Amino acid sequence: MTGELRMGGGSTAAFVATLAGIASGCRAPSVSTEPCPQPGVARFAGVDSIASPYDSAFAAAGAEFGVPASLLKAIAWVETRWQMVQGAEEFPGREPAFGVMALRGAALERGAELAGVPLERARRDPVSNIRAAAALLDAYATETRVDRSRPEQWGTLAARFSGIELPEGRTAYTREVYRALGPRAGPSAAAAPASCPKPPPVFGGAPDYSPAVWRASPNFNQRPADSTGVTHVVIIHTCESNYTSCWSWLLNPASQVSAHYLVSEDGGEISQLVLERDRAWHIAALYDCALNHEHDCWLEGVQSNDFTVGIEHAGFASQDSFPTSQLQASAALVCDVTRDRGIPRDWQHILAHGQLQPRNRIDPGPHWPWVAYVHQVQARCGEVVVDDSAQFNDPAFAVAAIPAAWPATAATPDYYGGGYRWVATLPDATDGAVFSFRLDAAGPRAVDARWTSGANRSPRAAYAVIGAAGDTLAIVRQDQTTGGGRWHALGTWAFPAGWSRVVLLRRDAAGLVVVADAVRVRQQ
Amino acid sequence: MEVHANGVAVTVRMICLDLVLLLSGACGRPAGARTAVVVPPQDTSAAFAGSMNAVRRARPGRRPAILRAVRVAPHAAYDRVVFEFAGDSAPGYEVEYADRPIRRCGSGDTVSLMGTGYLVVRFEPAQMHDERGNPTVARREWTPRLRAANEIKLVCDFEGQVEWVLGLPARRRYRVLETAAPARVIIDLRHEP
Repeated sequence: MTGELRMGGGSTAAFVATLAGIASGCRAPSVSTEPCPQPGVARFAGVDSIASPYDSAFAAAGAEFGVPASLLKAIAWVETRWQMVQGAEEFPGREPAFGVMALRGAALERGAELAGVPLERARRDPVSNIRAAAALLDAYATETRVDRSRPEQWGTLAARFSGIELPEGRTAYTREVYRALGPRAGPSAAAAPASCPKPPPVFGGAPDYSPAVWRASPNFNQRPADSTGVTHVVIIHTCESNYTSCWSWLLNPASQVSAHYLVSEDGGEISQLVLERDRAWHIAALYDCALNHEHDCWLEGVQSNDFTVGIEHAGFASQDSFPTSQLQASAALVCDVTRDRGIPRDWQHILAHGQLQPRNRIDPGPHWPWVAYVHQVQARCGEVVVDDSAQFNDPAFAVAAIPAAWPATAATPDYYGGGYRWVATLPDATDGAVFSFRLDAAGPRAVDARWTSGANRSPRAAYAVIGAAGDTLAIVRQDQTTGGGRWHALGTWAFPAGWSRVVLLRRDAAGLVVVADAVRVRQQ
Repeated sequence: MEVHANGVAVTVRMICLDLVLLLSGACGRPAGARTAVVVPPQDTSAAFAGSMNAVRRARPGRRPAILRAVRVAPHAAYDRVVFEFAGDSAPGYEVEYADRPIRRCGSGDTVSLMGTGYLVVRFEPAQMHDERGNPTVARREWTPRLRAANEIKLVCDFEGQVEWVLGLPARRRYRVLETAAPARVIIDLRHEP
């Protein structure tokens, strides 16, 4: 290694690779000139890649009735996640669903009759329930003369099986079944050894985020025209239901609720429901800055929908964990929203519903991986932040070393992370706060610094920018008496691979304070 | 206040008698065959004392219960509000008087109510719509104009929470009862302060 700087596209690609380490599976975090790419979701390998408790029953019923066992398994996955449900009548006119296949009403009766099992057994016994469903699909296939060797024709039968009337709902259901079948698994090797279903068509073209599906909700109104209506916070929610059920409800004018976006369980699909410029109805609380590190207290009492973008996630706040692919898709979306709206990617601007509305909400719950998630959002947008506290850093890319003599505090708001460090200046001081960042390959990076401002701060705080080889690239002075809580550009330099660093120096005339909060390194 | 074993039995009969007026066939089985749960322990007599205090029962970690009926009816000394759920058990709930304004959970819009007593009834995990996005209770607000239960409005069905608010002429003491199979949460609002 010569230490020579490599410039241009090669280094950009290498940095991309670096970032991909943070957001693993993220193939191409885009640079700021391009929209965020479609979520680089690791595709679900299909239901055949996981064992279910009813595999032998799916196989036997499939063989008996000439229906792909994989299709039975996929429908059961979509309907019940392989649970034996014992339905209750949810409301007049809709019969309760029974069994792994969620058979109900006339379909249940017909399937049971075709399979030659008593109705009660078709309700309560999994094998009979699956046989009844297979018999029903067999009858549908015969009636409509589908070519049983062509997987895509089974999709329409699955939609009929669902009992959903709404064409949009049938399409969505079919897509879920195909997704459950996986990218390569055809509806059974027995029925279709050669041809496999095409992956579901890429739906997209939503107005503010093109990878998303546009499902326009009527539940919105206008944001205030004044400064309180400027979008600058993203709220993360869980919908406490599955994806289809969630968007179905948010589209219903009766619900009087909505969100701007909804991310499916596996991140394979995102719905946009409300334009970002419009006011979606996702949070009841009035803004209370005490719940957000005393940030933007001038907004105190403003209805939180006025200035936020709401992102729902299929799933539950009580979940023990969230699928990696869902988090990745969500992070790509939030990168796009924050870039388009000029929203900082930090701890005052990407928030939990439960944080702003603790009285009666906890979503997205205690197991939402906040630090890793915000790192993914930043990585998608081509940036790495080094905070003064290790708690907010990914140690593979960002490490801070602050002398113990520099006190920690959160007294002045608008810091990055959970607080900041400060120290009184000394003319002969030799110490400094070191913010180190690692690049896998050399390349140009813009560097920004952040502090909390106050009258006692140094008007000429010195930041030394030092390359990985130990050479000082620049010393940049910043006025910390103003501009707190915002990023301030120190400059752009070509950095070598390895750990470069920015050092906030303590040396200055006595009687001042320098604040070490965070340093950001970004692609341009 | 303790509820003894025979107290539970009394509750069951009383609820059945009350509900039989509202629900034909609700008490087809003998009362003793039914498992009724009264939570928290409260006076179950017709002339109950009640309380103004919040009543909370948390049941986290379940699938949302489907609310399928809401009924309001007058009784001799109180008005009864019944929330009935699909399935055998009720979700968690919080019942408490709240100050104005009451807000819708999605839009944050304020909800107007007559009178000066606003009793908020929140269920969680619960929903009032099915998997296809259709409401499971058609009527979302009405005005019974009873002595205590003046008005009732749905203010939330979102993210696993269903919230109703009852408008009373003034705050009245109340009690919360619960039955299983079918699952009901019952709120009795005293006519007299």
